[in-house]
Parts: sequence; structure tokens; C-alpha cells
Amino acid sequence: MRLTWADKIAIGLLLAFSLGGIVYSLYFMPVAGLKQAEISVDGRPYKTVLLRPGYKETFRIGGASQYNVIEADGARIRVLEADCPDQICVKTGWVRQAPQQIVCLPWRTVIRVTEAGQTDIDEIAR
Amino acid sequence: MKTKHMVLLGLLTAGAAILHIVESWLPTPASAPGVKLGLANVVSLFALAFFGPREALYVLGARIVLGGLFSGAIAGPAVFLSISGGMTSLLVMALLNRWAQPPFSLIGVSVLGATAHNAAQVAAAAILVGSPGVLWYLPYAVLFAVPLGAVTGMTALFALAKLPQKSLS
Repeated sequence: MRLTWADKIAIGLLLAFSLGGIVYSLYFMPVAGLKQAEISVDGRPYKTVLLRPGYKETFRIGGASQYNVIEADGARIRVLEADCPDQICVKTGWVRQAPQQIVCLPWRTVIRVTEAGQTDIDEIAR
Repeated sequence: MKTKHMVLLGLLTAGAAILHIVESWLPTPASAPGVKLGLANVVSLFALAFFGPREALYVLGARIVLGGLFSGAIAGPAVFLSISGGMTSLLVMALLNRWAQPPFSLIGVSVLGATAHNAAQVAAAAILVGSPGVLWYLPYAVLFAVPLGAVTGMTALFALAKLPQKSLS
């Protein structure tokens, strides 16, 4: 039960290919794993932001009072500032992964991170 | 085909089908869909080394049909993936076993077979979904295939060493 030289070369090449591929895909991730943030107020869709690298936007939802200031920076998004009493939405901080969300219950603002391009792999991977 | 031969192939098929079904109960890691342990591949490899490519093909075909029947989705995507992965893997392993056994050991044959299996499954999944984006999983599939294939090869080697050779004749 010894590995021959050919075994070792094959294993080495395969590992090099896969690790190289993973590093490559992480560096040039783009299209594969783009996320978007769906912002809704009072249950109605308000705005959808595509979270892409190099993108920055800060905008304000609400009136003079009852507001949320939302900041998107590259692949992440957060509530920068709000005048809600509990400040939970601000303390949630940055979110970037698909099931994460920020909820401001008092002002009924929800920011959900979802996959931008759905590939329904999960349905067939079984 | 001798009766003993046939009985042994039947036993192998039953073992392969059980492994195939048990494996389908296990959850797959979310980060790498299509990655399976390849337990049933132990039997394919064993049949290939002990009998030959034709017998291995019989066992593989019967195993996929049985596995499909027991999972209740004989025409489902899982069976399509099993066929594409299993056939490609067996083809690669049969060719290597026949022509490249001296440089490679059975472990190397198994590693390359497992790689072919996972690569073919990812490719089949990409065709099924109609999106080449699925091919991004290929490196992950290969990464998992190497250690799992090595374990499969060692298991088959152990089984071959323990099984008395004269049980065939």
C-alpha cells in the first residue's frame, strides 16, 4: 500500500489545479457570487441595491423624523444612522452574506441581502 | 458466466446499491454541491480490479438503476448525475487500470476516477441548469475528490488483500 511516483504527481497536479482554481475564482469572483440588498419599508419594496465592488452610496429613508440613513460600500451594506429608540438596526452593523438582514422594527425598514443571480443548484444537488 | 461469478457479482451489486442509498441520506456541504463521499465507488473499483471492466459496468449500471428506484425518482436529475459521473469515472478507471497500472497504483487510479466522477457531475449539473456558472464549483469538486478517492482506493486494496483469491474459482 505505497503511493507510486505517478500517484504522487497526479495527486499533486490535481491539488494544485483545484487550489489554484479556488484562489482564482475568489480573486475574480464577480458574476458568480454577486449579492443585492433589497430594502423595503412597511412591507413594500423601496429600493434594490446591487452590492458590487467599488460601489458607494449613502441615502436616507424617511422624513425629518423616523429616518434611516443607509450606507452601501462595495459588497456590504449597513444602517449608518437612525433615530429609532432601540438602535438595533445601527448596532447590527455591516451585512454581506445572502441570508443576513437588517431590521429596523420601529420604522418598519428591512434590508435583506439576496443572491443577485439565482442559480438553483440546491434543487438538483441532491 | 460461472454461477459463483454471478453470485459474487450479485453480492457486489447489493453492497453497491446499499452504499449508494445510505450515501444519499447524508447531507452535502452547502459550499460544494455535488460533492459525495463516493462510497459506492469502492465497489466499482473492486469489481474492476477483481473481475474486469465489463463486470464493473454491470455492477455500476444495476447500482444506479436500483439507487434511482429506491430514491423514488428514477427519471430525476439525481439519476442523470449518477449516470454521467459513474460512467465517466468507470471509463477513466478502466483505461488507467488496463494501460497505466505500473506507473499508477490502485490508489492513483481511484483518485483519478473520483476526480473524473466529480468533474463529470459538475459538468452535468451545469448542462442541467443551463448555466455555465455552475462550473465555478469544479475546483471544489476536485479538491474533495482527491482525498475521498485515495480513501476509496485504499478500501478497495484492503478488500482485495483480505479476500481469498480462490473464492472465485
